[in-house]
Amino acid sequence: MRALVIDDSRTMRRIVSGALHPLGFETYEAEHGRAALDLLEDGLQVELACIDWNMPVMDGLTFVSEVRANPAWRSITLMMVTTESEQGQIVRALAAGAHEYLIKPFTPDAIRGKLDLLGLVAVEEHA
Amino acid sequence: MSTVVEHDQVLAIAQEVFAAMVDGDEGLLQPWPGELPVIEDAVVAWVDLHGPWPGRAELRTSGATANDLTRALLSLPDGEVVTSLDLVDAFGEVANVVGGNVKSLLPLQGSLGLPQVAPSAPAVPGARLVQELPLSWRGRPLVVAVWAFAQPALPEGTRLS
Repeated sequence: MRALVIDDSRTMRRIVSGALHPLGFETYEAEHGRAALDLLEDGLQVELACIDWNMPVMDGLTFVSEVRANPAWRSITLMMVTTESEQGQIVRALAAGAHEYLIKPFTPDAIRGKLDLLGLVAVEEHA
Repeated sequence: MSTVVEHDQVLAIAQEVFAAMVDGDEGLLQPWPGELPVIEDAVVAWVDLHGPWPGRAELRTSGATANDLTRALLSLPDGEVVTSLDLVDAFGEVANVVGGNVKSLLPLQGSLGLPQVAPSAPAVPGARLVQELPLSWRGRPLVVAVWAFAQPALPEGTRLS
């Protein structure tokens, strides 16, 4: 499976990607929502997008709305991975079309748990 | 902000962030025992909080400690050089996650600025230090601070505590 990791922090992209690789994901990275949309418009096909909320150029919530507005991308599972932990923000993201919500900081076990819920863990984690 | 951001809450946030993001284990970030030494060659990472409770969440440590923090966060091997870009990105992201969790303590929603890293954070006239936690990360000094800026007018009827 393939995942698109969208975060303006290279460090966080690396952490998220590092948590996804043992679960069988090939990862692609974008530093903001617009760059991620460009990748999808260029034909990148992914099953999962992990999306930060606060980013320059295009934030995560706008990205979610843009993806949900395009029927061609309906199959992409959208998971917010963000420090925005207020209930109101979570409701906004889910209302915009996000499937899951993971609050930073998170452990690799937490990301695996969310993907399990979504039926997206591809392989048993390597020891 | 002082009535809604308590010392123990900030400590719990910082410890959780370091355990989850940096150390992969709890207990490596602890209160500093005794008087904190002067931090030489300081590096500061901060995010500003905007909205009804404007303020700032800030981490301050030495350049060498920030360097090692970056190395731990990125799991860099000993021989690999930590670049200034690595340090700004990694240390800034720690401040971002701490700041985001501090923001969640506030009773009214605001927004979070993007993280900044520099030798010192710009002073804000009228800013008030709400919490300052001298901490020890792997035995080295690191300070987490939360500042309150002058509040804009709040909606009528809003209670501050």
